[in-house]
Amino acid sequence: MLDTVREIETPEGVSLRLRAAGAFGRAQAWLLDTLLRAVVFFVGLGIFSMLGRGGVGLGLLLLFALTWVYNVVCEVWFHGQTIGKRVLGLRVVNADATPITLLPSVVRNLLRVVDALPGIYGVGLVVSIIDPSARRVGDIVAGTLVIHADELPAGSKVPVAAPQPLPLPLDADEQAALIEFAERSPQLTPQRQEELANILHPLTGREGSAAIAQISAYANGLLGRT
Amino acid sequence: MQLERIGVALRPRTPQEAMDLGMAMLRAHARPVWSAWLLFTLPIFLLCQLLAWWLAMPWLGLLLPWWLRPLFDRIPLFVLSRAVFEQAPSWRATLKGQRAWPWRRTLAGLTWLRVDTNRSLRLPMELLEGVGPKQRRARWRVLSRPLVGVASGLTWTSIAFELVISLSLGIFALWLVPSEALPDSMRSLNQALSLPAFRHALVWIASGLIYVSMSIVEPLYVAAGFALYLNRRTQLEGWDIDLAFRRLRQRLVEAGMALALFVCVMCLPTFAHAADQPAGADRTPPQSIAEVFHQPVNDKDALFASAAASVYRDARFGQSRKVQHWVRRTPATPQADASSLGGMFANFGAGLLNMLLWGLLAVIVSALIVFALRHWRFVKPAPVERSEAPRPLHSSVQELPLPEDLAAAVRELWRGGGRREALALLYRGSVQRAAAVLHMQPPIDATESDWLRYARNMDDSARRERLIAIVRTWQFAAYADRYPDDAGIDALLSGWPAQQAAR
Repeated sequence: MLDTVREIETPEGVSLRLRAAGAFGRAQAWLLDTLLRAVVFFVGLGIFSMLGRGGVGLGLLLLFALTWVYNVVCEVWFHGQTIGKRVLGLRVVNADATPITLLPSVVRNLLRVVDALPGIYGVGLVVSIIDPSARRVGDIVAGTLVIHADELPAGSKVPVAAPQPLPLPLDADEQAALIEFAERSPQLTPQRQEELANILHPLTGREGSAAIAQISAYANGLLGRT
Repeated sequence: MQLERIGVALRPRTPQEAMDLGMAMLRAHARPVWSAWLLFTLPIFLLCQLLAWWLAMPWLGLLLPWWLRPLFDRIPLFVLSRAVFEQAPSWRATLKGQRAWPWRRTLAGLTWLRVDTNRSLRLPMELLEGVGPKQRRARWRVLSRPLVGVASGLTWTSIAFELVISLSLGIFALWLVPSEALPDSMRSLNQALSLPAFRHALVWIASGLIYVSMSIVEPLYVAAGFALYLNRRTQLEGWDIDLAFRRLRQRLVEAGMALALFVCVMCLPTFAHAADQPAGADRTPPQSIAEVFHQPVNDKDALFASAAASVYRDARFGQSRKVQHWVRRTPATPQADASSLGGMFANFGAGLLNMLLWGLLAVIVSALIVFALRHWRFVKPAPVERSEAPRPLHSSVQELPLPEDLAAAVRELWRGGGRREALALLYRGSVQRAAAVLHMQPPIDATESDWLRYARNMDDSARRERLIAIVRTWQFAAYADRYPDDAGIDALLSGWPAQQAAR
């Protein structure tokens, strides 16, 4: 089964699913960050240049900070998200899903020198296209990963109905499928809803719209509604 | 379409994640995609260059491959759409399969839809669904509604990727080609640009570079668009739910639950209604915290304040108590003369010295304590050990007197059950006698192996052999707890050294 998920099992037996982010999203986040930093730099340079020659020095210091410090500060103290990553819903974490700490962050940002090699991120782009988790060289060396941070809302949009207990115990993923159906069935066509609900005839013992209502009732019961 | 055979993990994804899935699909089927891609596009590309050269219009070599992209896109899409549900087709099957695919939409894509930022999303719909024009428009509206922004973002990002890769290749080439290898006319850029041949060469090189970067990025673009399409259809038609429900159904049917459940379900409604009827009035579930807890939420703060007040009335909180501590009778007043700088420094220095002295005292006292502790703990028991330690060393070889008749004494011990003691006595006596024969003082620290070495210096071979046998026997007994039998002992006791007079 093809997927972009990296699965990590903790010593407690909890499996964490990291949804690695690919080159497209990362490039868009980088572009946004770069534009933002360029705006800040030129505005800052405009303000500093009023101070004369010394102002240019301050402007260069600002450029240095924006190039090297901005990423590290955002990653370490703002939950692994620069502003561009926040907009695109991405986050930098360690490869074992722990929050990124100072040293890996510094390493991965210093290695931008390699990733940016002919000056336009050619090496980083090609490496992240080849790597299964879309890591660039800096990520591989620092042991970090860029993941999708936004969770899809699950189970919160199930329409309210009279709950019913399940007639027999189901596995966790089967229960999730019932809730998923109840949540998403309003977006499906009525014919498709009935088609799907009819598949579960052995469970509901009903056909058509009665089966849909039955599954919705089970889902409400699974969500603990009274 | 058989959904059970899909080779992609289906789950709800954001469009961004779906594009990443496209990359993963391409990585998994890289070989069939790119082999067919190269076999299909490279001849066309070369043909375009030939045409451009023949017409003497080099820019045509740049434009035509770009214009023909909707045609090229068919290849990766064909491979990936087959690979998702079954085996990825070989390049031969891919090229053959192009004939069966509809061409009219590709022609449209090559003409009036050429500048369309949603091409990646439109391609799979048009080529894989193959519906009539009217239906297609409605279908496109449903399919693309939430994805238009993402799809055009994908297009622009792909253009940027192609630029990055082709420029990177060019820059790397410029860096790596030594300047001596360049012709003289290219040393100065201004001069070179004035030559038409150089300009033409630049266009050829650029079209080559762009072809390489297109070969890398265009399949990615198509794959990402195809994954967006798959994700949207999963969302619209509940493919993941379909799969999960089918699995659940199969499990239930296989477990033979269907019949039992049917009976249950037939009976259940009557029970359920019997239970429901009395509570039918308040069927709607509680919506807010207030309903859940049967308390008004508005005066939460007042409740909290009164609860906190009652807690603080508890004897353990809010109680006054007396604290006693020492206070200076004359409060320390800041000294007036400390305001002068010299006085401040003097005070500071004096304070520092004071602290140093106290520190020194502390170090001395603690050193004394440590010394005393060490003296008592470690020095005292030491003489006890020293007085007893050397005793066994002396006693073993030299000081205990040997019995007159060594063989008889050993045999007596052996018969009495003290086999170890017997062998020890035999060893001790033997090495003493050997030392006497060799005219040497038996060394205190001589080990068994030392005695074996001394034994080799003996002239008489029979004595030498026997002494060696005795030492070996003792070693086996002492270290491995292995003893000889009675005949072995008799052999050792016959003759020298156990019998003094014998040879």
